[in-house]
Amino acid sequence: MALQSIDAAAGPRRRGLGLTSQGIITAVILLVCGFLVLYPLFFLFAESLNVGDPQVFPPQRVGIGNYVDMLFDWRIIGNTLKVALFSTGIAVTIGFVLAWVLTRTDIPGRAVLERLMEVPFYVTPLVGALSWSILAAPQSGFLNQAWAYFGGSNRIIDVYTPMGVAWVMALFEGSVAFVMISAAMKSMDPALEEGARVMGASKLRTMITVTLPLVAPGVLGAAIFVFAEMLGSFAAALVLGIPGHFYVITTAIWELTLSYPPDYGRASALGISLFLIMFATLAFYRWLVRKGAYSTISGKAFRPRRMQMGRWTWVLAGFCWLYVFVAVVMPLGALVLTSFQRFATVLMHQAQFTTQNYWTAFSLASVRDAIVNSLMLGFGTATIGVFVMVLLVWIIYRSRMPGAGIVEYMVMFPQAVPRMVFGLAILWAWLNMPVSLYGSLWLLGIGYFTVLLPLGVRTLAGVVLQVDKSLEECARVCGASWTHQLRTITLPLLKPGILAAWLLLFIASVRELGVSIYLMGPNSKVIAPAIVSSWSSAGTELTAAMAVIQTLTIFIAVMLMFWVTARLSKQGNES
Amino acid sequence: MKTCNLMKTGIAALIFAGSGAFSATAQEALADADAVCANPVEAKGFKTCADIAKAEAEGEIVFYATDVESGTVKVLADFQKLYPKIKTSYVRLQAGALYARLLAERQGQSYLADIFQIGDVGLVMDFQKRGGYARYLSPEMAAYKAEYKSSPEGYWTWAVLMPAGLAYNPQITPEDQAPKDWNDLLDPKWSGVVSMKSANSGMQHVTWYQIKEHVSQDYWDKFAELKPRAFDSMVQQFDRLVNGEDKVAMTAQYAAYLEYRAKGAPVAFIAPSSGLPSGPEVVGIVKEAPHANAARLFLDWYLSTEGQKSSVAHWYFHSPREDVAPPEGALPISEMKLLFPADWQAYAATRPDFLRQMRSMSGLQ
Repeated sequence: MALQSIDAAAGPRRRGLGLTSQGIITAVILLVCGFLVLYPLFFLFAESLNVGDPQVFPPQRVGIGNYVDMLFDWRIIGNTLKVALFSTGIAVTIGFVLAWVLTRTDIPGRAVLERLMEVPFYVTPLVGALSWSILAAPQSGFLNQAWAYFGGSNRIIDVYTPMGVAWVMALFEGSVAFVMISAAMKSMDPALEEGARVMGASKLRTMITVTLPLVAPGVLGAAIFVFAEMLGSFAAALVLGIPGHFYVITTAIWELTLSYPPDYGRASALGISLFLIMFATLAFYRWLVRKGAYSTISGKAFRPRRMQMGRWTWVLAGFCWLYVFVAVVMPLGALVLTSFQRFATVLMHQAQFTTQNYWTAFSLASVRDAIVNSLMLGFGTATIGVFVMVLLVWIIYRSRMPGAGIVEYMVMFPQAVPRMVFGLAILWAWLNMPVSLYGSLWLLGIGYFTVLLPLGVRTLAGVVLQVDKSLEECARVCGASWTHQLRTITLPLLKPGILAAWLLLFIASVRELGVSIYLMGPNSKVIAPAIVSSWSSAGTELTAAMAVIQTLTIFIAVMLMFWVTARLSKQGNES
Repeated sequence: MKTCNLMKTGIAALIFAGSGAFSATAQEALADADAVCANPVEAKGFKTCADIAKAEAEGEIVFYATDVESGTVKVLADFQKLYPKIKTSYVRLQAGALYARLLAERQGQSYLADIFQIGDVGLVMDFQKRGGYARYLSPEMAAYKAEYKSSPEGYWTWAVLMPAGLAYNPQITPEDQAPKDWNDLLDPKWSGVVSMKSANSGMQHVTWYQIKEHVSQDYWDKFAELKPRAFDSMVQQFDRLVNGEDKVAMTAQYAAYLEYRAKGAPVAFIAPSSGLPSGPEVVGIVKEAPHANAARLFLDWYLSTEGQKSSVAHWYFHSPREDVAPPEGALPISEMKLLFPADWQAYAATRPDFLRQMRSMSGLQ
């Protein structure tokens, strides 16, 4: 009774203080994030209604002319849907097979292969597109040259086609399909598969009649998510599509905004249309997830049992290694070879080799600045981003605040807006702000934070939801303030997940292209748009050297982070 | 605790990264200079009316240009060798893209550019009409012909001459099968293997406009049937020639040919018998240049013999100055039949038609 009275006396006082600081921090974060997400979109929408001088803001004449004009862009919209469908199909098929092989079978070298599956994510779609343009150009690509050398007639592959664009997008932007499907497979109770095997079904039949239906919702979810990503894809369509007279919405926006006179209205209307398609797709995905389509994934404890594949083992392992060869070894090999050439050529009889491109790349202050800026931005965005996003996740999922669902939608909004469309929106929004951040790294940092909100919040939500509420409640019952509870209970428990999210945000920042390409200024150069700029004006060999440097930079950063994570985990275990 | 430390380091990284934004605040724009100053100073190999001490105090110039980056970096480095206290940076985009960006920045009152160099006279005239240039009569402008300068003088000056013709790879196409003039390009054998510059290129606009006098009216419609590929820069065009992806390049800049030849690449240049469409790159100081004194100093150097030698050496362009030799191994301008638009206003007026036809050819419309 006495204890109760002490709690009763201390509780309201401390909780009152906690509520105040919690309330203030919550309000500030929500206001800032809401502003960062919604303010640029307002500009995008306003510009899409601008039927007067596109270079005057606010618009002097408004109307729906730009949307009506989109009827004439049906071919571009059709191209976008076609290439997104193809690439999604390829990515999900490859992702499913790889996920099944690596999670449900006993092939050798699974751990190494799983790590290697992450590499295309570090390589980035831009670097992937550049390297595949070296590998599979119709006349001079390595593959076509090799084919001709061995007596083949005509070419066997042309990457400057819609299928070529889809292929590169699937390889380098579709690795998420593997991650999502393998996560679903890892969570799947193998009892049904084992049942089928006991009843005498073959392994193939078990996979088709049991595994596939069981993970179908997960595969469908991954397909929808990947499709939305592909709709907003830019790099492969830029490098491979434009030379082949093939435009998708993102490259059309790029051309329309970076030409004179610019057609901002048409570009914005195309951007809004893409946003609506992606929003509908992602809303369907969320509905699917929330509907509980994963009910086949039980909460029952189980130990995944792997199928012994017998003579098929080496075929399946060969498929996995083939993927690694096609998505990692071949593209990086082609890039490295080109980076050592005096002028880029795949015709070996005219090739001359040099290390000059690396000296040039490192001697160019702009390249050095771009690398340093990218690393600083990656570090800053990931660090501040993780901190704010943890708070956001807590507000959305734990605070029981009224309207938390709306906040969740708002935070996830940028996912439905293609990166480069958001970049354009941020550019206009901040050009028309009284605070001049345009041309600085600050604006790039703000842009990165905004577009990476969904990625960070989604990753951290998975981590936060794993922590039992009772621990936090216990701290509150004991009279801890909200900030004290976050500092002493929530954050330490979340540390491994936070580090993983930090790494993800860091990599996503360093490889960012869509937003950077519009926001980069003369003194705020970053590496991905610098590579695009070099590709378009400095020659393939120097661009290849820069791409190799970018890829190595990401690798080294990732390795360092793994090392730091391992050390921290070790220290945590020891303490 | 470690998370807090990480957080502090992250904030420090962003503050450090962003600090440049606030150090480069816009200076007060200098008043337009209506005449060459009474006593130009003899600086390091050139004459200048700029206040060198103030230029060094400003400590930076920002160069907006359309030229290939590798050359731009070297030209800027040559200037910085003379004035190490003045840091240089640049933005490189193709002409239409660069101009759209500059205007968007000005609309938002963000003034980052000091020097603006662009290869499309139509856009130059538009920018002058919008009051975008600061007037500064460089003492070095006396070495340039009157037709190479703005009227009134001091807003802009031709800094580079760019002839363009046709190019091919002699290891792939024998000389006797290469085209000799524009009409030869319409041969169906070039279908799918011919390139040109993109609609954003001033040089492409000049070619489109200038060869009309020498070809039939429906030339560009017939050319479109060959499905030409359009590229942002001459580098991409020549890379594809070397690799055999394309067999002929239209609007092949002589400067690119010289640069690739210097690298040992197998390329050959054809000067069409009807002449070489040519345009200038035009340079001027932006009205609200944040580093106005440094911009004046740079312009004086750039237009001088030394600056022009740097331009010739690193971009392989010809100089409009008659006292500067052509790039090594290049024909002098006097031996080329250059086709400049006689009426730049008429040329500029054709931009909408040019864009429509080019976008149609490239698949955007």
